[in-house]
Amino acid sequence: MFTNQNGRGTKARADSDKVVRYLLMAAASASVLILLAILVFITNNSLLALKSTDLLGFLTGNVWKPSEGLYGAGNIILGTLLVTLGSLVFAVPVGIGSAIFMAEVSNAKVRRILKPLVELFAGIPSVVYGFFGLMVLVPALAGLFPEQMPTGFAWLTGSILLGFMALPTIISVAEDALKAVPGTYREASLAVGATRWETTSKVIVPAAISGIASAVILGIGRAVGETMAVMMVTGNSALVPEPLWNVFSFVRTITATLALEMPEVVVGSTHYSALFLLGLVLMLIVLVINLCAKQVVRNVNRKMQGANGRSFLRRILGKKDAKRFKRGFSVIATLAVAYMVCSLFLDQAMALALSVVLASVLILVQMFLKRITRSSRQKLMHSATFLCAGLCVIVLSVLLGDIIIKAVPALSWNFLTGYPVDAGKSGGIYPAIVGTLEIIIGTAAIALPLGILSGTYLAEYSKGGRFAQVLEQAIDVLNGTPSIVFALFGVSAIVAILGLGVSLLSGCITLAFMILPVIIRTTEDAIGNVPLQVREASYALGANKWQTTFKIVLPAALGGIMTGAILGLGRAAGETAPVMFTAAVLMRYSVGFNLLEPVMVLPYHLYYLATEGSADPSMQYATALVLLAIVLAMFLVANVVREYSNKKNKW
Amino acid sequence: MMSEDNNEVILNIQGLNLWYGEKQALFDVDMPVRRNEITALIGPSGCGKSTLLRCLNRMNDLVEGCRIEGTVEYGGVNIFAPDADINGLRKRIGMIFQKPNPFPMSIRDNITFGPRLHGIEKKKELEQIVERTLRQAALWEEVRDRLGSNALALSGGQQQSLCIARALSVNPDIILMDEPTSALDPIATAKIEELCVELKKDYTVVMVTHNMQQAMRISDMTGFMYMGKMVEHDRTDVIFHSASQEATRRYVSGLFG
Repeated sequence: MFTNQNGRGTKARADSDKVVRYLLMAAASASVLILLAILVFITNNSLLALKSTDLLGFLTGNVWKPSEGLYGAGNIILGTLLVTLGSLVFAVPVGIGSAIFMAEVSNAKVRRILKPLVELFAGIPSVVYGFFGLMVLVPALAGLFPEQMPTGFAWLTGSILLGFMALPTIISVAEDALKAVPGTYREASLAVGATRWETTSKVIVPAAISGIASAVILGIGRAVGETMAVMMVTGNSALVPEPLWNVFSFVRTITATLALEMPEVVVGSTHYSALFLLGLVLMLIVLVINLCAKQVVRNVNRKMQGANGRSFLRRILGKKDAKRFKRGFSVIATLAVAYMVCSLFLDQAMALALSVVLASVLILVQMFLKRITRSSRQKLMHSATFLCAGLCVIVLSVLLGDIIIKAVPALSWNFLTGYPVDAGKSGGIYPAIVGTLEIIIGTAAIALPLGILSGTYLAEYSKGGRFAQVLEQAIDVLNGTPSIVFALFGVSAIVAILGLGVSLLSGCITLAFMILPVIIRTTEDAIGNVPLQVREASYALGANKWQTTFKIVLPAALGGIMTGAILGLGRAAGETAPVMFTAAVLMRYSVGFNLLEPVMVLPYHLYYLATEGSADPSMQYATALVLLAIVLAMFLVANVVREYSNKKNKW
Repeated sequence: MMSEDNNEVILNIQGLNLWYGEKQALFDVDMPVRRNEITALIGPSGCGKSTLLRCLNRMNDLVEGCRIEGTVEYGGVNIFAPDADINGLRKRIGMIFQKPNPFPMSIRDNITFGPRLHGIEKKKELEQIVERTLRQAALWEEVRDRLGSNALALSGGQQQSLCIARALSVNPDIILMDEPTSALDPIATAKIEELCVELKKDYTVVMVTHNMQQAMRISDMTGFMYMGKMVEHDRTDVIFHSASQEATRRYVSGLFG
């Protein structure tokens, strides 16, 4: 029945449909398998450490001296949390402020400039941030606070740098959330006479609150898992700050510990195992943050929808007392923060006096703000958001400007095409450039097919069943997993157990696993943007599911997929931690595409030059510039592809 | 149902021209709007009737590249004057949109949002506003037991009634309606129309509609627009039965549009 002229019946095509479904399903299960493998390897490797020290001792002990068999990671875990917390203090307000400026305050022209700038900000490799911190931030802070932090290396430096790195994530996710609020809400609010700022603060932001919350959480995730930049500027001493809020103290984070000690440790020793245990702790911290985040978002959503109007405080205290409590709390909190800041600079009595003055000034300002007219409040708040966005632009221009200007003296044809001489002190970086490109190609070859097929499965085939739920969870967890954890997995599983050694192939596999979630997500999104009518038109012509998917839907979504894929690969190109354990060597004096040989890569080379080598600064700057150029070129290509495909497909 | 012609002119549109970037969308529009009347704006798609409506509470300010010449006089002031208080204006001239657009909040919070902005904080007063406006919008009996539940759970017609209640919550003089029933079914439409006639006693309504029967049923005055121009503006029975312009006669008899 219904056979077509070629004799291929609907039955045969239905069968082929089934085959395609299973193939896609297999590709999609890769994410689950990878996550399981990571968990198994890291847990398994950390068992030995648990034998020599109990878990409680590991988590709370404050002496980390592997040479004497002491593994107390308490200070290191504390360091991680403190640096992250510090970065949030300014990244969250500045990030949300900038997002509000972009989405609600600025006009379309300004937005068109700012949006790619934010993406560019996000695309800068962490080792370049670290390099910038080392060259600019560290001396600047040392000059600013010569008494408190003579070296310039400190918790504060790390937090500022991490804050910058978390900013673009927070801005772009929060801006998307604000933009997604239906324009009708805006109109409705203005139509009852709200000012633009009132509309923003009372309607738009509350309506977007769950998206903004996830922006902040993604930012936290990025900060907790960050390795290179932190390691390069925090001093890496596992101290407890004295007092606890002393931001000028050295700290050491989990990620830095892993990156510093992993290359020197004996495989299979207790120390080795203790590092894996640390990695496991890091993963758990990130996981807990993500779970809390989901809970927060859920609660916030429920509240927004008016299910429960009364807050917890109001329920136990009653309305009047709750108000009084809040006011009292905010006074005490202001006082405490003021004291904490003052006490870092002055002796106790002075600090106390000054903080009282400061706190009362702040409270007076707050009272003043409550009294000003609605339109001046709007002006004030709009200016504040403008300042937030302005700060981001300034930081970005200083970073790029500094690198470009100082790199110029060392840039030459010989630098780009020559081999390094004298441990990188002179000569060129040709093998590192080639190695980086090889890494990009190899990673793409593994991650793209796997990611696109998985994304296709999730978008078109899975119907939200149990398997799809497990998949989504696994992808979420993988997406939040810090790159250093992938590095640990690469070292233990791919380099050692699979026996691929430190090689191009090991590096590519590790990086491919790392960017897989990004590619799956972009594929899902891009396919989701293809309108249903296009599919219906295809089915109406008698095409079956896989024909529709592969001949109509995927080509239509290709632009979006490529954009995401290139951005993901750009991230891989700039990654340092996973590559330096699995694929990189310091020097190579020949090039050639050999999957089983190690390669030189730019990020690691830059890290080496900046921290250990004694190369001329201009050599370091030039290396940073070349790395930036490669990453930015990919970023540009991605944008061109996006522009082009947006123009082509105007649904 | 015709009202007296001598009702006071509450809103006077004179010589209004509007450009979106290079493109001119309104040409020399004149139209007086009288108090306690329903004025309907009709015309084919893209004729500028919604644009005209959105000028009246300066919603077009949100559109980038929009430029306006001419005056709209309200309460003796030109609403486009540089020192005009836009938020005050929008409080006095409320708006109902094509698609119901309740905020994603509880029914109660939707209505108290506006009054709170304008400084009303006493719980009792707010409750009174909620009840009064919901009664005016003929929604009170249906939702009085679930004021705390999410407004998005209401049906389309109920949502639009809620939006009307929300517009009334800030005590406007004039209510602008941009095809308020185009997203509703016939029963909900009939209810909203009934409501409009009821509202006329206390308020002034300017309504854009695609539906000529609707204009005929409920409006006192009708303006017919075509290609950005106000072709004819007169009493509704005149427009529909003895229009002076050929284009108007053709449009209301369904010959084009």
